[in-house]
Amino acid sequence: MLITGIKSRPVYDELTPMASGLIHLAAGQGSGGKALVRLLRAMTPEQLAATTVLYSTESFTGQNYLIDLQQFKVRDLAVFPTNADAVSGLDAYLATAKMGTRLYLTGSEGFIGTSMQVATSYGMNRDEVLREHAGSFVRRVWCAHCGHYSENVTHRIFECPGCELNLIVRDHYSGRLAAFQGVKADSEVPGEMPENEELDT
Amino acid sequence: MSESQHGALRLRVKRIEAVTPEINRYTFGAADGSWLPPFSGGSHITVLIPADGDTRRNAYSLMSSPYDTSEYQIAVRRVDDGKRGSLAMHTNVREGDILLAGIPANLFPVSKHARHHLFIAGGVGITPVFAQLEELSLKGSSFELHLAVRGPEHAALGHELKERYGERVTLYGHDGESRLNTMDVLAGRPLGTHAYVCGPTRMIDDVVNSAHALGWSDSNIHFERFEDLGSTGDPFSVTLARSGAVIEVSPEQSLLEAVEEAGHKLPYLCRGGACGECETEVLELDGTIDHRDDWLSESDRATCKLIMPCVSRATCTKLVINA
Repeated sequence: MLITGIKSRPVYDELTPMASGLIHLAAGQGSGGKALVRLLRAMTPEQLAATTVLYSTESFTGQNYLIDLQQFKVRDLAVFPTNADAVSGLDAYLATAKMGTRLYLTGSEGFIGTSMQVATSYGMNRDEVLREHAGSFVRRVWCAHCGHYSENVTHRIFECPGCELNLIVRDHYSGRLAAFQGVKADSEVPGEMPENEELDT
Repeated sequence: MSESQHGALRLRVKRIEAVTPEINRYTFGAADGSWLPPFSGGSHITVLIPADGDTRRNAYSLMSSPYDTSEYQIAVRRVDDGKRGSLAMHTNVREGDILLAGIPANLFPVSKHARHHLFIAGGVGITPVFAQLEELSLKGSSFELHLAVRGPEHAALGHELKERYGERVTLYGHDGESRLNTMDVLAGRPLGTHAYVCGPTRMIDDVVNSAHALGWSDSNIHFERFEDLGSTGDPFSVTLARSGAVIEVSPEQSLLEAVEEAGHKLPYLCRGGACGECETEVLELDGTIDHRDDWLSESDRATCKLIMPCVSRATCTKLVINA
């Protein structure tokens, strides 16, 4: 688990079965599959029978745990080709979910963050959700100028695909937007760029 | 806005109505005719009630509209064997009288994030819900109320709410037969539902246990106890460390009341063991503390290093508190 000095970045948990819940929904992406496997191993047969797994095979690092996940006798395992599809699948599931449901999220920060936006829109509380980060800490960045969201940003300076400005990625994470903030890199002195660096990926 | 006197509001009793055989509704205005401080649904005020030469400080939920601060309304159930504060309200207070009260505080607010609000109340526990429903109704929020009463003669407040909110209100016991089943009411609710319960301890425990059994997490369960937790019991004495004063707590009064009667001050807000404002350090103890609050954690209780003077007592030969 990466330690950073970024206070606004979420503090992530470790996925373990929440025994107080009656229905379990586990959504993961890429290398998050490893945490899902560990979670399902820790569950009782009754909990597994009450568990739905949503898994996206999209991965920044190329990890795929689908075969391992298929070994468990869960109520349902739904597989999605992209993270965006998995988040839509989560939305559709939560639309009819009842009180007593517990949500487990694991994968990249962008996947966890956008899934959390959906969970929050259904009024889920922090004591109903566990989040475990997996894989690289690539950042999801929101452009303060055009509002474009860029996934998997790895460097401090990058060109916004939305407005083509050179952005500097600030160490400020917004839970509401589920993204770090990007602002114009040479706003003080036009043309004078700060030094580029690889982010804490 | 109405001026306060030593932090207390001067309220004139504008109207007294008997709404059930045991409950009176009191309507107050500011004694100087001005506006009263605003409040949110679920708030209460502490009313200073002259009784038997003493002053009782009883907390009552505000049941009038939070959007009308020209008046406050409270409902008082007469408890004949209590500390006689409610009895004094029923027998001594007349329309036109002036009473002192604290400014409103809210320990039972509605959730800002709920997608649906589910209220369960019993008897006089309905009072905070009056103001909460008014608030939610004006905001256009989704809500429903399940109210249990002991019989037709106790159902007047429930009928008032039924009149206002129609299908969203379900009454139980008003016909002498229907009964509230909390499992049925709580089962199958959509995500983001918040439950609020106000009533006797048995009802609160029942709702909390049912919600837990259905897998609800604690952040979606809200409750307020209206029963006087009754800080009555065996007498004991307490020493205030800062002044060295030794104070006798009689069987009929709380530690907080005894300290106030002796002319000392302790911080307080709810006077019902809920808010934590009066939490006081225990410096010396020969005996045990009888914790009666909803504030301290199990580990705090076990170590006996803290006491809530508004409700808790002690069985001891020596008690010194940091006050």
